[in-house]
Amino acid sequence: MGMSRRRGALIVAVILFIGACAKRPAVVVGSKNFTESVLLGELLAQKLENAGCRADRRLNLGGTLVCDAAIRSGSLDAYVEYSGTALTAILHQPLLHSREEVSAAVAREYAKRGLHWGPNLGFNDTFAMIVRRGSGLRTISDLKRVEATYQPGFGYEFAERPDGWRGLLRRYGLVFAKPPRTMDLGLTYKALASNQVDLIAGNSTDGLIDSLGLEVLEDDRHYFPPYDAAIVYRSNMDQKCSAALDSLAGSIDDATMRRLNFEVDGRHRDVGDVVREFLRPR
Amino acid sequence: MDPMSASVELRDVSVDGILYDVNLTIAADETVALIGRSGAGKTTALRTMNGLVRPSGGEVFVDGTALASTDLIALRRHTGYIIQGVGLFPHRSVYDNVATVPRLLGWPEERIRAAASDMMRDIGIPLERFGTRRPSLLSGGEQQRVGIARAMIAGPALLLCDEPFGALDPIVRRELQDVFIAMRSGVTIVFVTHDLGEALRVCERVVLLDAGRIVSDTPALNFTSEPEPLAQQFVAAARL
Amino acid sequence: MNDILRATGQHIVIVAIAVAAATVAGVPLGIWCTRRTATARAVLRAVDVIQTIPSLALFGFLIPIPFIGGIGPRTAIVALILYSLLPIVRNTLTGIRGVDRNVREAGVAMGLTARQLLFDVELPLAMPTIVAGVRIATVIAIGVATIAAAIGGGGLGDLIFRGVAMVDTRLILAGAIPAALLAIAADVLLTFAERAILKTWG
Repeated sequence: MGMSRRRGALIVAVILFIGACAKRPAVVVGSKNFTESVLLGELLAQKLENAGCRADRRLNLGGTLVCDAAIRSGSLDAYVEYSGTALTAILHQPLLHSREEVSAAVAREYAKRGLHWGPNLGFNDTFAMIVRRGSGLRTISDLKRVEATYQPGFGYEFAERPDGWRGLLRRYGLVFAKPPRTMDLGLTYKALASNQVDLIAGNSTDGLIDSLGLEVLEDDRHYFPPYDAAIVYRSNMDQKCSAALDSLAGSIDDATMRRLNFEVDGRHRDVGDVVREFLRPR
Repeated sequence: MDPMSASVELRDVSVDGILYDVNLTIAADETVALIGRSGAGKTTALRTMNGLVRPSGGEVFVDGTALASTDLIALRRHTGYIIQGVGLFPHRSVYDNVATVPRLLGWPEERIRAAASDMMRDIGIPLERFGTRRPSLLSGGEQQRVGIARAMIAGPALLLCDEPFGALDPIVRRELQDVFIAMRSGVTIVFVTHDLGEALRVCERVVLLDAGRIVSDTPALNFTSEPEPLAQQFVAAARL
Repeated sequence: MNDILRATGQHIVIVAIAVAAATVAGVPLGIWCTRRTATARAVLRAVDVIQTIPSLALFGFLIPIPFIGGIGPRTAIVALILYSLLPIVRNTLTGIRGVDRNVREAGVAMGLTARQLLFDVELPLAMPTIVAGVRIATVIAIGVATIAAAIGGGGLGDLIFRGVAMVDTRLILAGAIPAALLAIAADVLLTFAERAILKTWG
């Protein structure tokens, strides 16, 4: 082989090598736009990377329906969803109350759409109707006493979703005098703490409930379905990657999720650092 | 209406970069032309007389009182000022423009109306026809007639004119000079122009400025025989 | 439909309050600037910088500030006032400076006091330009006010944000179309006002 031929072969080899590397599967990981979801999205991404898969992060995307539309169209490959949300807001199915029934129904329907509804991560993040401590209210039914004076404040999703505010009013027979103020979800805690609104819809695993002196009202009429967190991913995902995601089953309980949320919301730590610390083998 | 016309005196007046030690005395009732080339300082000299320009050196006196220690607002309400660009208030009617100074002086409206009617008739823009018109709809000549009416209606003691007819065509210019000549008694007039013919026609005395200094000061009748070289250039250029 | 009417009402209210306040503050500020060139430069630069801040960022900055901040329409109004200042101050400045030199000189020479000159001559003549500034400010404010919904300010942006969260195009349009119509209406009405003023001059 002459000099030039050898160089030509080298170039071809390099190109093929680069091509082969590029073919390593990239999983597009998304999340909704609140802290817990971002944490979980980051968790998926780091888990995948630890297993040797490439992860493309699209965190803080938007609400539930944005993520759902994205994963169905293939713009996303994986994100964490909640069973109750999937059942009512996405699939528009009537509410069921047993956790197993909900998860099973969702898994069934998702499979028909080419999506895999994974095993539960281990915690239930239900909607929490939150007021300031010292309000004298204990359950959601107690809101009847303040329906004329309280100013509710919600994020756009809870305000608009049929299984959100509207459904709750119907279920509890409440009629609030003041229409809810809507704002970016992250601001609702601040608004409640600074007396600009009196009632918000947070999440039961939020990190700031205790630190801001807030209280969760008991859902005495069991309006909210279970919201078990599970990983949704496209059924055609690479085996190695999906196995990595499945291994996360049962790895986070309610208390742990609350703690992780607090690390970010209360102590303002970086999401990546918090997740890295969580994944470190103990 | 103050029937007395004012005297004007510039004593060692300098304006940085424009006028240098100008000494000029104008008696009451005189009609004086300030002529000179562009940039000679004629307009600046004129504008020291109603305080629009403050001299950097020397003093200006109107009727014996130094401008530096006088109420300029009151002085200006008794000084007529006519400029080439006219400067009529476009958002007011012709009548309202003419009535400006009398209203500032607190004249009753009937008196203003009567004075305006007389004055505008004499100037050739009868009140009935022109009173309610807007300045922008008038021709250049008509606008300057309004300018003259506006300056003269309150019977000023001093009238300052800065090339008032410079933007008008020769025929209109001639007509307005005639109007002017008919109105010039009873008021001291200082008339800036670079048209020698106009100066000699309208004024009794001609003061020639060059580069910020007075180089000649003669009665109008004698100007054509004035030996000063610049004066002769003016005469030649005007083909007199 | 009720929602749309309510949101439109809220929207109009916050824009109206903000533009009115900006006019009350901005016109005198503009007048002041015509008298002092050094101040004028500083003021214009400050107002220019405010204009370059992205609206959502400005809303975010204002939230933690006591009294004028917080979540709700008040913060939105403060932000809108800040955004409306530039067109109004600049147009007041330009309008007054644009008064014909001859007109101003004649006014001074006739013995008008500074106040008379300002109120009888300069302001009336500058009015069409000032109204144009108010018009521009209003149209901008109607657009920026849609962001107010992000911080609880209400208005038509609320419908847009809800629509985005629910991936509901109808809801998005329910907010976007009235907002656009409002802006067009404001533009037309105020252009009318400008022309009416000019017409009185003949």
